[in-house]
Amino acid sequence: MHVQSKCETEIRSLPGCAVIELRGEVDGSAAATLGAAYDDAVAADQAPCVLLDFARVDYINSTGIALIVSVLAKARSEGRQVIASGLSDHYRQIFAITRLSDFIQLYDDVDAAAASVGPA
Amino acid sequence: MTMAYEERQLVAFTVSSEPGNERLALARVAEAVAGSGLAPDQLERLKTAVAEATMNAIEHGNHNNAALDVDITVIDAGDSVSVLIVDQGGAHAATGDTAVELPDLDKKLAGLQSPRGWGLFLIQNMVDEMDVFTDGDKHTVRLSMHTTSSGGGRIAEPRDPEGDARAEQM
Repeated sequence: MHVQSKCETEIRSLPGCAVIELRGEVDGSAAATLGAAYDDAVAADQAPCVLLDFARVDYINSTGIALIVSVLAKARSEGRQVIASGLSDHYRQIFAITRLSDFIQLYDDVDAAAASVGPA
Repeated sequence: MTMAYEERQLVAFTVSSEPGNERLALARVAEAVAGSGLAPDQLERLKTAVAEATMNAIEHGNHNNAALDVDITVIDAGDSVSVLIVDQGGAHAATGDTAVELPDLDKKLAGLQSPRGWGLFLIQNMVDEMDVFTDGDKHTVRLSMHTTSSGGGRIAEPRDPEGDARAEQM
């Protein structure tokens, strides 16, 4: 059964990092949207790092977690690091429980993430 | 389950079994429990658990059949808030001794386990208690959260999902 995705993405580039800004709801219906955003981001910017910015995301469920796992697996297979910013305390807790935060460094916001990966 | 206080029903409603209706359920539950003594972080955890359990009821209990309802009841028991989520999949519910594979991120990243399978794991780690019972066709999940004044609100170590084969599909 097809469900209209309520997830939107915008891609931009920072020194050393491709940024995927997510908006709305990250659930299973966002698979095509997130997959295309990842492909576009790494095609446009060969940066070794992909930043997922969740600052404008208001809902993530278990199927959304599965999508993030898939993105992480693909990035790792390509030798890319995945980092994240803008998660609420609640979703930070979920990233900790699922151990995603063992593999994805979390930052308060895009600026803090950029400072960590950009040129010294 | 021993009740220390008289239970008070806060709301009872249904959602049809269509994907996405878990959002309606969590919004109604959040509205109903306002003022019940849950701390903000507890409310967020309860909302996530309700959404996951409702999604499971819609998808795996009622097989996305829009003609079947998921019944949701919210109860204030004084020292806790409980949400009962009932679907029509009792006849197909797993037996209590069914083993469920714990989601393992290392295995998922290695392609040895599906990226999915987080639903029951999340539910169990979001609420203070989860009970599952079946009565004929009715399959019920009861989610309980101790209110702040009763000493609830702790963040648990990750718990293992056991006893509900639907977890593999969540």
